[in-house]
Amino acid sequence: MSDVESAHQQTGTAPLAEVFWSFLKIGGSAFGGSTQAMMHREVVERRKWVDDEAFLAGFAISQVLPGANPVNLALYMGMKARGGLGAVVAVTAMIIPAFCIIMLMGYAYRQFSGLPITHFILGGVAAVGIGATLAVGAKVSSKLPRDVLTFLIGLAVFLAVGVFRWSMLPVVAIAVPLSIGLAWLHVRGAK
Amino acid sequence: MDNRLLGLFLVFAPLSLLSFGGGQAIVADIQYQTVELRGYLTNQEFSDMFAISRAAPGPSTLIAALIGYHVAGLVGALVACFAIYVPSSLLVYGVSNWWQRNKVSPLKTAIERGLAPVAVGLIFAGALAVIRAAKVGPLEIGTILLCCALFYFTKVSPYLVVLSAAAAFAAAYFIA
Repeated sequence: MSDVESAHQQTGTAPLAEVFWSFLKIGGSAFGGSTQAMMHREVVERRKWVDDEAFLAGFAISQVLPGANPVNLALYMGMKARGGLGAVVAVTAMIIPAFCIIMLMGYAYRQFSGLPITHFILGGVAAVGIGATLAVGAKVSSKLPRDVLTFLIGLAVFLAVGVFRWSMLPVVAIAVPLSIGLAWLHVRGAK
Repeated sequence: MDNRLLGLFLVFAPLSLLSFGGGQAIVADIQYQTVELRGYLTNQEFSDMFAISRAAPGPSTLIAALIGYHVAGLVGALVACFAIYVPSSLLVYGVSNWWQRNKVSPLKTAIERGLAPVAVGLIFAGALAVIRAAKVGPLEIGTILLCCALFYFTKVSPYLVVLSAAAAFAAAYFIA
């Protein structure tokens, strides 16, 4: 394989207009959490910008690193399709539909925030959101390794940020290296 | 006005790098900084914004854009959006190449294993922050428990649940 070919494999040469249009479509269909399925159909099956293996790698990175998963996934796929510029275009196109809708909702909120019923109904919706958040927490917890240290780290972070209201930055700055270090010792020890 | 734009940037840009698993992990600190530290919102407004961001399609991190809009209009929304997405995106961009070169490394396993409990702790802290900010009565507690069970055990569409809850609360408002 020539250098030119391998360079193309890293970054790709898809037209930016195609990248923009594809991710605008994916972003617009983001109702119901089927983003990953839509993304796979578009970038792997239809456009063939990435193969399955690269898609899964992008999926793992998107979940592990900070940032919204669908946005991170769009960035990774845009990068594979058309390098750095593709990444910028993909992320922008991906966010536009949801951004427009949430701005309309924010505008409507301004108009109706004087009515007590607005806050009452939104209180109900917030309760749904809290329930969903707790369910996500429970689901992720159930996949954690069953050991005391893992439990203690999760509990300590919850108590520090949630109960004692400590600032998140220093808590995470201490907890993340500590937790990864312990996991590293565990992974090395298991070998 | 300019101070508020800078303030929005300073709230959301660092949180961008802490948003493990998305917006749910940083909800607690968003509430603390925008309500208690800077006084941009009341607890009522924060709870409403949380609700709207959950009812809207797209990533829950867009609560940043919503707060930005409320604090400083459309420019505020754009600044907050920029702040919440650019730092994490730069990190993802930088890490992507390294990640692909090292297909199965013990360090990757350690990073995945190590981040998970921290993210779990932050998610529960976020739920607690919203419970504190919202006015939670028996009706809301019932809704929280019901929805938690629904989302844990079934694959029901979140939008269907949000719509049903909004309709049920609207009905309850007129009955009570």
